[in-house]
Amino acid sequence: MIDIRNVSKSYNKGQIKAVDDLTLTVRPGEIFGFLGPNGAGKTTTIKLIVGLLKPDAGTIAVAGWDTQSEPLRAKAVTTYVPDTPAIYERLTGLEYLNFIGDVYGVPKKARLERIEKWLDIFELASAVSSPIQSYSHGMKQKIVLIAALLPGPKVMVLDEPMVGLDARAAHHMKEMMREHCDAGGTLFFSTHIMEVAEKLCDRIGIIHKGRLIACGTMEELQTRNREEQSLESIFLELTDK
Amino acid sequence: MKKFLLLVRTGLRVNFSLSLLKPKYLFRNKKDLWMVPLIGLGLVGLIPVMFFYVRLVVRMYGWLSPLGQQAALLTFALLMGQFLVLVFGFYYVISAFYFSRDLEILVPLPLAPSQVLMSKFTVILVNEYLTVSPIVLPVLVTYGVLSRGGGVYWTRALLTYLLLPVIPLAVVSILVVGLMRLVNFGRKKDALILAGSLFLMTLAIGGQFMLNRSVGAAPDRAAAIRFLSAPDGLVQQIGSKFPPSIWASKALAWGPSGSGPLNALFSIGASLLLFAGLFLAARRFFYRGLIGLGEQTARRRTLSRVRLERGVGSGSRPVRAIFRRELLIMNRTPIFLLNGVLSVILIPILFVVMWNTGKRASDAAALMALVRSADATIAVIAAALFMTISGSLNGTSSSTFSREGGQFWMSKVIPVSPADQVRGKFLHSYAIALLGIAASALVVLLVFHLNLAVALAAVALSMAASFVLTAVGMIIDLARPLLNWTNPQKAIKQNFNVLLAIFADFGVLFLLYLAVRFLGRLGWTGWRTPAALFVLLAALSAAVFKALKAFAARRYRDIEV
Repeated sequence: MIDIRNVSKSYNKGQIKAVDDLTLTVRPGEIFGFLGPNGAGKTTTIKLIVGLLKPDAGTIAVAGWDTQSEPLRAKAVTTYVPDTPAIYERLTGLEYLNFIGDVYGVPKKARLERIEKWLDIFELASAVSSPIQSYSHGMKQKIVLIAALLPGPKVMVLDEPMVGLDARAAHHMKEMMREHCDAGGTLFFSTHIMEVAEKLCDRIGIIHKGRLIACGTMEELQTRNREEQSLESIFLELTDK
Repeated sequence: MKKFLLLVRTGLRVNFSLSLLKPKYLFRNKKDLWMVPLIGLGLVGLIPVMFFYVRLVVRMYGWLSPLGQQAALLTFALLMGQFLVLVFGFYYVISAFYFSRDLEILVPLPLAPSQVLMSKFTVILVNEYLTVSPIVLPVLVTYGVLSRGGGVYWTRALLTYLLLPVIPLAVVSILVVGLMRLVNFGRKKDALILAGSLFLMTLAIGGQFMLNRSVGAAPDRAAAIRFLSAPDGLVQQIGSKFPPSIWASKALAWGPSGSGPLNALFSIGASLLLFAGLFLAARRFFYRGLIGLGEQTARRRTLSRVRLERGVGSGSRPVRAIFRRELLIMNRTPIFLLNGVLSVILIPILFVVMWNTGKRASDAAALMALVRSADATIAVIAAALFMTISGSLNGTSSSTFSREGGQFWMSKVIPVSPADQVRGKFLHSYAIALLGIAASALVVLLVFHLNLAVALAAVALSMAASFVLTAVGMIIDLARPLLNWTNPQKAIKQNFNVLLAIFADFGVLFLLYLAVRFLGRLGWTGWRTPAALFVLLAALSAAVFKALKAFAARRYRDIEV
């Protein structure tokens, strides 16, 4: 569903290589966890997938659509949650959700059903008619998540989605992620929380200094290193270079 | 002091994006070279304006000097400059002091409130020199040349220029700091900005009214003899509502002896006093008014199923969605609202005030004479120019991408083509231009009693001209959108693109002026010239809009966030 081939991205006229010849495939129905130390290239990779950045080299396809030559088709099946919820603060929650519904072309019936469902789950029903600028950080994160779920996307790309969520919301979020992938969707997310990645992800990739240094299921990662190791130990060992 | 200077330096760098002004950065990428002819075209468009301004000053000097009243020119220019600072300073002061996001970084630092506030004041002060320069500098220089001012004049002129914005800006700052401490609106900060701005706009219009009355009202014979016989009669008459402008002009005009030095002392003394007052107000009240201001609360109310159903839209309407987003965000952000929507209504209102209060010798009267001209060419073009300037000479189109700021990522990830996004944005900017055209059309019809056919032709012509100018403004903003602002003020009022677009607008209007002259030389009169202009503008509209869409397709792909 997400096919990244030999992608590179650098900043400052090539002085800083943020992503270096990355090749990675995320399959339909898979939750893929993307780990790495600060500055390893996680957010850059995510921004390349959703089209916020242009790769210097290589190709990325989402649901078979090349993100450079067919960007609208790729975007139509993808939604994205950034690491900081910078959204239209002057709109109310409902106006923002309607905006997303309008641009993704979500029919009224589906829109109403999904909004009701997710507002209820994320306990945001009482705030949806208020301006987003009156929301707390966690509430903003929730409304962005609901907006990402609203179009019923095939692919969801989330950058550190747990940050700012309370325990209940984080629990619902994990359930949502599983539900989405059980229905055939694909989910690519970055996180620093090892426990979440260990328990939730079907496969995990670890990026370090722009290069993918490990990729596989939890068992495969353990086999490649020493048996019975926790993800945290594997991560620390691999990135301690 | 060291911390204060550091804060000022950082503030200047952030506010004016100084690095962008250096040629090596400005033209680091060859793609920025398109700005050179654009700035050139704008400057060429401005040359006639400055030329006429200086010529007017020279002519007025010629009229006033035999009466010994030439210093009134200085008073008028200084008063206008200080008045501008007073009115526009309010936006800068309130948004920089209370609503800029860097406060979240600065407040927890070990800095005194006065250091933070005074550094911000200094940054705004520097900004205000740009505002007053086009009005004040030509008069100071022309006066100095004509009066053969010596070293004393030029030294005092420099000092006067440097001190000019201090008094009005300090007055506004003290008012704002006091007001925020007293009321700390907190949840009503938008309402405060709107109310304060409207108050100052009313003050501006009222000031214009008073200024026109004091300059234009015919005095009775005795009063006329009285103020013409005193060397400072006209100075006192013009500056009576704002004495600092009298002190500054007397300091300049009354040479090294007599009341010159005394008035210079008054001017410096008042500036220092107000500066000290602001320092004390900053120490005592700044943080008390600031803390808690960022908190936003709203009444939480769960929507009923029926209301939710009513509130939820349907279908795929990307252009409408983009248009609606632009409309809601602009109307709910006070700085955007004031600089976009309200400014297009303000120009016609100011003309009405000038027409009603002046002695029919003002710009409004000059326009009036043109629009009532028997020659249809002149009447239509003059009315259309007025409508176009009212509708398009604002920052709406030239800040349309910059206003998205840090939220531009959403425009990049949504499945809406750049062409459709540009259509939605264009419709919004053009709707605001149409509002200005409608307001000024009402003015020419109801106040200037223009012939309906002429007014309708002028509306058609200004709609075509505004179409071009809106698209040009959008192209300029799209070429280098300012997306990393922390204060909405920067996106529209302090956005270099807005200035560039105004240059470009003047350039386009200048080219149209040349076209009219060319047609006049060919012997074209009556309705033929406006008709030809309309065809030209319609063709230009189609070409520029096509270029905008093509440019958007490239820029949306290239802009990285």
